[in-house]
Amino acid sequence: MSLLACVLLLLLLNPSSHAGEIGAFPDLNLKDPASLQEATRVLEEEVKLASRPQTYLLIDLVTRTIHIKGRGIDLHRIPIMAWSLKVPDAIKGTHRLHTRPPVNRRKIDPTASVEQEPISLADMPVDYTLSCTPPLTITVLSSPGDNPLQWIESRGKIWWWELKEWANTFSTEQPPPENPSLRLEVSTEQAQSLAWSVVDNMPLVVRRSADKNK
Amino acid sequence: MPHLPTTFSSLILVSLLAAAVPHSSETASPGSETVPPSIANQLSAPHLKNLRTRYQSLSAQLSRLKPNQPYILVDTARNHLYIKRQDEIVLDALASTGSGTILDKPGEDKDQWVFDTPRGEFRVQSKLTNPAWVKPDWAFVEEGLGIPHNPADRVEQGVLGDYALGFGKGYFIHGTLYTRLLGKNVTHGCIRLNDEDLKTVYRVAKVGTPIVIF
Repeated sequence: MSLLACVLLLLLLNPSSHAGEIGAFPDLNLKDPASLQEATRVLEEEVKLASRPQTYLLIDLVTRTIHIKGRGIDLHRIPIMAWSLKVPDAIKGTHRLHTRPPVNRRKIDPTASVEQEPISLADMPVDYTLSCTPPLTITVLSSPGDNPLQWIESRGKIWWWELKEWANTFSTEQPPPENPSLRLEVSTEQAQSLAWSVVDNMPLVVRRSADKNK
Repeated sequence: MPHLPTTFSSLILVSLLAAAVPHSSETASPGSETVPPSIANQLSAPHLKNLRTRYQSLSAQLSRLKPNQPYILVDTARNHLYIKRQDEIVLDALASTGSGTILDKPGEDKDQWVFDTPRGEFRVQSKLTNPAWVKPDWAFVEEGLGIPHNPADRVEQGVLGDYALGFGKGYFIHGTLYTRLLGKNVTHGCIRLNDEDLKTVYRVAKVGTPIVIF
């Protein structure tokens, strides 16, 4: 009994040991050097962001989740259905969003007898591009859902995007892209949710699925 | 219609077919997705151990940045206010947040009021009982009324509910007469709750309680 009490006491006195073993990324394989290096890099950035009173994004390509966070807390999660990343080596540190996606705001008319409809999630764009500094372009495309017409439109948009990227790759006139570009495919509702939640100058960190050793 | 070269036609057809097949793409620029096997051999055991220690230390740091007291979380897209204690939801309340509409300021060219609920992290700065609404200029302009010179003409009782919690720049969490509009983005930036939920928030929150809004 005394041995059991000692063990329990040790566990109680060191509550963080279990949390430390799990770490901020429960999916992480601590024996995989590249993943560990990448996770550590991301955490270094996130600790800086979480130290300030702000919200920020963590785009986790390993777990396929966009996290809207503040103080290290998950405020909202957006599942990523598919993604594609060009020039991942150029993603280092924290990027800042220039401006949120434009939305058509309704103007109040004091002379009108009918109240203006307020803005809602449905007013947010479903496909858009986010530009960041240091340079990072994030293209958000909404997935089609069950509607066949939407499916065709969505596949068409993705095909067109991929065709442009393919043409750039093989074009002898254009140099290889130096700035990273990330394409994220999410559900329509979540695309609108993300457009709603991002703000001008919002910081974001990308956790890549593998780190390239130079 | 001009006859396309057979090779080009085939290429287009292949591209269309490739785009038509849904793929959970994890593509990246060539060579960057996979870590060369040599990386694992380059990291010595002590280096890996140091990296692991660094990762766990950062995870613990991030964990310590999370609030260790109850905090208020406001989801403006879905119009919910939560009181959370670590991961536990103490209260899930339907709310109303900013409408996102705009109103021209009279006599000021291109200057406007924008009725958004501010995003980011704030703190409860004040707690009031039986608050009176001191109507700002926009409340008169919106109705097509003139702005009163007498401050007493701005005061309206009984419209903000039994309590109000201020979090800076004139923004409050308060009650409402329009409970049927809860769940919608209809306010001028403040956060509205029904009487019962407002009472809970007033009871649990202290001056200094964090409010995270996204």
